[in-house]
Parts: sequence; C-alpha cells; structure tokens
Amino acid sequence: MELLDRYLHAIEFWLPKRQKQDIIAELSEDLRSQIEEKENELGRKLNDAEVEAILKRCGSPLEVASRYLPQNYLIGPTLFPVYRFVLVVAVMGCVIPRCLIWLGFLIIDPAHRGYLHLENLWMTVFYCVFFTTLAFVIVEKSGAKVEGLNTWNPRKLRPVRDPNRIARSGPLGEIAVAVIFNVWFVSAFWPRPAFDLFGAQITPAPVWQTIFWSFLALAVANVALAGVNLFRPYWTRLRASLRLLFDGIGGALFCWLLKAQILTGISAPGLPAPKAAELTNVLNAWMARTLPWAVVTMLVILAFDAYRIIRLRSGHPRGGSLGPAVHDLPNPTLNGN
Amino acid sequence: MSQSNGNHEVFENLRLELRRGCLSLAVLSQLRTERYGYTLRKALAEQGLEIDEGTLYPLLRRLESQGLLTSVWREEEKRNKRFYRLSPEGKQVLKQLGAEWQKINSSLEEIL
Repeated sequence: MELLDRYLHAIEFWLPKRQKQDIIAELSEDLRSQIEEKENELGRKLNDAEVEAILKRCGSPLEVASRYLPQNYLIGPTLFPVYRFVLVVAVMGCVIPRCLIWLGFLIIDPAHRGYLHLENLWMTVFYCVFFTTLAFVIVEKSGAKVEGLNTWNPRKLRPVRDPNRIARSGPLGEIAVAVIFNVWFVSAFWPRPAFDLFGAQITPAPVWQTIFWSFLALAVANVALAGVNLFRPYWTRLRASLRLLFDGIGGALFCWLLKAQILTGISAPGLPAPKAAELTNVLNAWMARTLPWAVVTMLVILAFDAYRIIRLRSGHPRGGSLGPAVHDLPNPTLNGN
Repeated sequence: MSQSNGNHEVFENLRLELRRGCLSLAVLSQLRTERYGYTLRKALAEQGLEIDEGTLYPLLRRLESQGLLTSVWREEEKRNKRFYRLSPEGKQVLKQLGAEWQKINSSLEEIL
C-alpha cells in the first residue's frame, strides 16, 4: 500500500487545512475498497503496476485536489472584458504620449534621442498594469460590481451611432472655422511684396503666390463639401473620396510650404540687418524641421479618410442598424424554400 | 483530422455539461437510502451511470454544504466509512428537481 499512501499524501498537500483529514479518509476508503475488490476478483494481492493503474485512472494528485477547492479568480468573467478594455486604454495612454514626445525630441534635436528612457517606460507600464489590475480586483471583491449590474438602465446605454452619418455640428463647425480663418488668411497674406505682421515686414518667396491661391481654392472646395454634407448628412463614396483628395492636396501644400524656404527677408524697427537675415534662416530651418511631424499628421488623416471609403465599400447599413435590413434577408417564398 | 479532433472535443465538453446537472439528480435520488461513497458509485454504475471518485466526492461535499445531504462517519467491516443520506430539505429539492426533469425530458422528446 506504499504507492497508495504516497498518492494520498501528495493530494493532502494541496487541500485546505480544515478539510484535509476528512477528504483523505474518505478517498482512502474508496481506493482501498477498489483495491480489495480487485484482489478478491483475482484471488491474490495486487502488484505495484496494478495499483499504479488504479491510481492513474483516478487522476493526478493536483487534479484530484483541485476538484475539492473553490474556484478562485482575481477578476471574474463579467468584469474581465471591461478590465481588458481599460488596461489597453491605460497602457496606450502611457506609451503613446511618451513615444510622441521622444519622436518630437528626435526631430528637433537628435542629440536628445536618449530621452525615451526605455527602463522608465517599462516601469511606467508595469505600474499602470499593476494599479489597473488592483483597482479591478477591489471592485470584484467588493459589492460595487453587483450594485453596478443591478442598477443598469437601458435608457442610460449609449445610443447606436451610424459611422456613416455626419453629425450636423461637424460641417457647421468646419464652415465657421473656414470662414473665420480664410477671412484672416486673405486679409493678412494676400500676395504682395511684403506682409505687415506684428509690426514686422515679412517678405515672402515668389512661390508664395502659387501656394496662396492653391490654399484658397482648396478652402473654397472644402467649404462647398461641408455645405453638401450639412444638407446630405450621410457619407457617400464620392464625397468620402473628395475628402481624401482635398486632405491629400492640403497636406501636400502644407509640406511644400514648410520646405519652400518661404521667408526671404524680415525687417523690423531696431532689428539689425545681419540679425534679421539670421532670424529668416532660423525660421526657415525650423519650418523645414517640422516637416516629419506634418507628414505623420497628414498620413494619420489620410488613413482615417481611406478607412471611411473602405467602410462605405463594405456596405455598412445606413441608419446604424445592428442586424441586416429586412429587405436584405432572403425571402423564403421568393426563393422557394 | 484536426477538425475531427476539434469536433470530438466539442462533443466531450457538451457531454460533460449535459451530465453535470444530471449527476446531482442521480446522486440525490440514490441517497433516499443511506450509502457510503463506494457503494453509491457502484449502484450508479450498475444503472449505467459511471462516475469517478474525483467527481463524486466533491459533489457529495457540495450537496452536503447546501444542506441537501447529511453524513455520518461509522465503522463497518472494520473500516471507518462516511455514510450519506438525503436531508428533509434534500427530499423536497429532489421532488422539485424530479418534476423539472420530467418536464425537460418530455419537451426534449418532442423537440428531438
């Protein structure tokens, strides 16, 4: 019976203290009964291999002990999807801003590339995961979860939003901003030999004339598109493609502006000529350095625009319905089913 | 091959789920008369419901903690054995569960 004793001892190790003796006594009795019955059947004592076969059929000690233990978890299945969502948002909230700041330093001053401090970043992520998990464990173990589940109200659920619907505030805001900005833009930067800005005379490069008219034409086109969107508040493939085109042109124009060495001279009362030339060069250089940022921003905007077109191509139902429209369902009578 | 294994696994999981609820009912019904674990297992097996010790004993403990069974340690054939039987509350629950089972069974027979 040495094998049986070893087996029971191994199970005992994993059991809760208060129940150990009771469980082992009962299990031991069952196994001994099985062995005895087999011995009576064979008319001899069982050898080790035969006892081993009985114990193996019963299951590994940990497996057997686990069936007596209550199921424990830190975060249960009800709360887990919320936990996963919050964790992803929290980790992204830690990592993305730091990476953006690091990227900014890298562009402005490549000597500061060490500012990311990866070790610190990992520690931040670790603390973020730890405290998020801890908060959810506290909610799980306290009564807050049950209270939250019992007090929900269908009226308080977020309304279903059709991603292809254009909220009226969008085009209205676009038109308002475009009008205000363009009035200022036209009055301040109408092509002429020099602009008067904050008491300084700024001389633009000749290319400014082309850039100015291109920007203005684009602004008019964008206002027209916003006007159509205001009265026809659902994206169509044509208008989504136009938005992609306009944003692409706008981005390209802006990048061109940054790289065009647009300032040829600055003069201001009390500013010596060598200083003014130096200032002109510095401003042109800074504009050129911000080009990568502009490219990244433009790509993000274009990616959103392209995604909108793909979504429209995939035929997302209009009106935000979560199921197929009635007319999309097969008609059994018509199909002869 | 892997799909067949997957199907087998799905079937096994569903079979276990189906058995789980039935086992409680079977165990309760067998404990109208007092029995200890090993004889209870044998009685169930003789009626075609095999149940291993790793499933039976935790189930007996759970039913006892829910007040449906009572148990007592007693010596029999020179060995200490734990005898179980239905408590008055268990008898009532068994009656209700039996009726529920009949209802489900007759519905399923119609459906299947």
